[in-house]
Amino acid sequence: MITAEWKPIEEMVGYLRGHKKVLVIGCATCVAECAAGGEREVETLAPLLAMAMQNDGNPIEVKSATLERQCEPEFLEAIAEAAAEADAIVSVACGIGMQLVAERYADTSLYPGVNTTSLSIREEPGLWTSRCAACGDCVLGFTFGLCPVARCAKSLQNGPCGGTRTNGMCEINEDTPCIWRLIVERATARGRLEDLTKVRPPKNWSNSPAGGPKRMLREDLRS
Amino acid sequence: MSLHAGTKLEKVLAAGQFALTTEVGPPRGPDVEEVLKKADILKGMADAYNVTDNQTAVVRMSSIAGSKILLDAGLEPVAQMTCRDRNRIAMQSDLLGASALGLKNILAISGDHQGAGASGKLKGHPGAKGVYDVDSIQLINIIKNMRDEGVQAGGDTLTSKPQFFIGAAWTPLGPPIEFRVLRLAKKVAAGADFIQTQAVYDIKAFAEQMAKAVDMGLTEKTAILPGLIVPRSAGMLNYMNKNVPGVVVPQELIDRMKAASDPQAEGVKVTLELIEQVRELPGVKGVHLQAIEAEELLPEIINQAGLSPRPEV
Amino acid sequence: MANNSTADFQPQITLLYCRQSLAAEAKPVQGNRSGDGFSARLVLLPCSSKVQLPHLMRLLEQGSDGLQIAACPEKACQHLVGSNRAEKRIARGRELLEQVGMGAERLGLDRGAGLSLDDLMEMAGQRAEAVRALGPNPMKGV
Repeated sequence: MITAEWKPIEEMVGYLRGHKKVLVIGCATCVAECAAGGEREVETLAPLLAMAMQNDGNPIEVKSATLERQCEPEFLEAIAEAAAEADAIVSVACGIGMQLVAERYADTSLYPGVNTTSLSIREEPGLWTSRCAACGDCVLGFTFGLCPVARCAKSLQNGPCGGTRTNGMCEINEDTPCIWRLIVERATARGRLEDLTKVRPPKNWSNSPAGGPKRMLREDLRS
Repeated sequence: MSLHAGTKLEKVLAAGQFALTTEVGPPRGPDVEEVLKKADILKGMADAYNVTDNQTAVVRMSSIAGSKILLDAGLEPVAQMTCRDRNRIAMQSDLLGASALGLKNILAISGDHQGAGASGKLKGHPGAKGVYDVDSIQLINIIKNMRDEGVQAGGDTLTSKPQFFIGAAWTPLGPPIEFRVLRLAKKVAAGADFIQTQAVYDIKAFAEQMAKAVDMGLTEKTAILPGLIVPRSAGMLNYMNKNVPGVVVPQELIDRMKAASDPQAEGVKVTLELIEQVRELPGVKGVHLQAIEAEELLPEIINQAGLSPRPEV
Repeated sequence: MANNSTADFQPQITLLYCRQSLAAEAKPVQGNRSGDGFSARLVLLPCSSKVQLPHLMRLLEQGSDGLQIAACPEKACQHLVGSNRAEKRIARGRELLEQVGMGAERLGLDRGAGLSLDDLMEMAGQRAEAVRALGPNPMKGV
């Protein structure tokens, strides 16, 4: 899923000064799964923002809604009326959903209530960890299904750096396993450690965000 | 035997002499004098001097500039280059620049992550965007292809071939331990001419890893220089053992330093023993000797180890 | 704005209590009660784990001066970890309330077993005392 986390409320307060009618909108998909932008979070944030703005000396009226999906245009129509009444929208969906809202309701100020952070899984209750970096040049076929682009702090392609702790965790975060240690373990278990001895050439990053905005075109699907 | 770059370090190794390298960390400012002060203490003591590339991700004078200052002062530098701050375009450009300035020993390493700078007393730049376009092994190979084929990573040709003696780092005792020699083999396959290792204190464990490297024929293709850091207190050894990944310090060594009435003198003695011990190991071609913030200890150690004067080559 | 002075501030506390934390012989009560220098609205929960942040935040947005949760002792929760979940949510809620300038003390959880109505009112009274220093909820009457 796409993960996001709340921005500091102080930052949201900064955005909302001068606004009177605020609509807080969530998304019941990815950001609900990562407890940042689902109905529960929207209904927590909305009263919190009302209280924060009251204490800031800039009282606002807050309404809230949680859309089925904020990244699909048809679902945005559900808030047409509420959006027309509001002079600012705070979205706690991912950056994709936010931009679709900003486009559909272009006359209303749109502010982010979250930072979109990663493509992760829910590893345990209350713990989400990266799995993919959308690098556009998947290497999982060489790394036994474990991604060193997303899960190594240095995105190393040829094995672990010298920063693997004695307990096998990463030097940069003691709670994150050295992914290359896990890759080596899985290769060893499969009797294919030899596969990891081939030097991997530099990656092609041109199909990643580094290559510029993505434009994916499929003629067979165009109308 | 034809030499790649004909640096002093390369010639010492080619002549079968026991090589000695040490390290000069550039200052956190533009102070040439700071570099020259360290150069003064160490001149003539080693065959080559590593100049670090923003170690611990704290901004310092660039490795290439520091290296050039050393070179002009009559010390042969090993310019370190990390993969943290530059993409392949900047790296190759800097390599050409380094070559133009007469810098020929290059040590290609991954580099401390940008988050590492915030760990000590300094702030560093933990919010910096790490580059890591290529990794250290890919960088080694890029340097080799520039040198041997006169070709850039993207396939364009160079107008002439730069001469480099290519170094790499090795953490022989880090987990996953079974992969460390294989990773060394990858560095050698990519083009590493010499290897400097993470600090070694556990000679027995290091010897086992070296034996594997010898068995794989790696020591015939590359010159391995184990890293030795002069211990100055039991606390320092304890700290490294616990906090520096890949550094394993036997408890008896920590106890010995703790029991010593003059830890500094004991540290010098320990270092001399470590030099003797690694020298005995098949495949070891020299040492990379460091005294962190105590460079003044090095001349004594080097003299007592019988490693001075350095061979004329 | 009617900003009551601390002296005549009578905190309105909403007390949400777990049915299981009551003494066996005690009759569950709901609704408003007066205490010494405060008033309390008692709300019966089947388990303290039923409290959710959206409800708690709405109660504060609507003007309650303080919220007090009464939960069972740690090992005595009928849902095993229900009261622990509630405790973690309350901790998070307190952090958020601090961030919006309401003060963490407007929300709290205490544990007890075999509680009487008097015990519950005492808990509410303690919350009222903690809230008194913060003054009336600024959302009151908004």
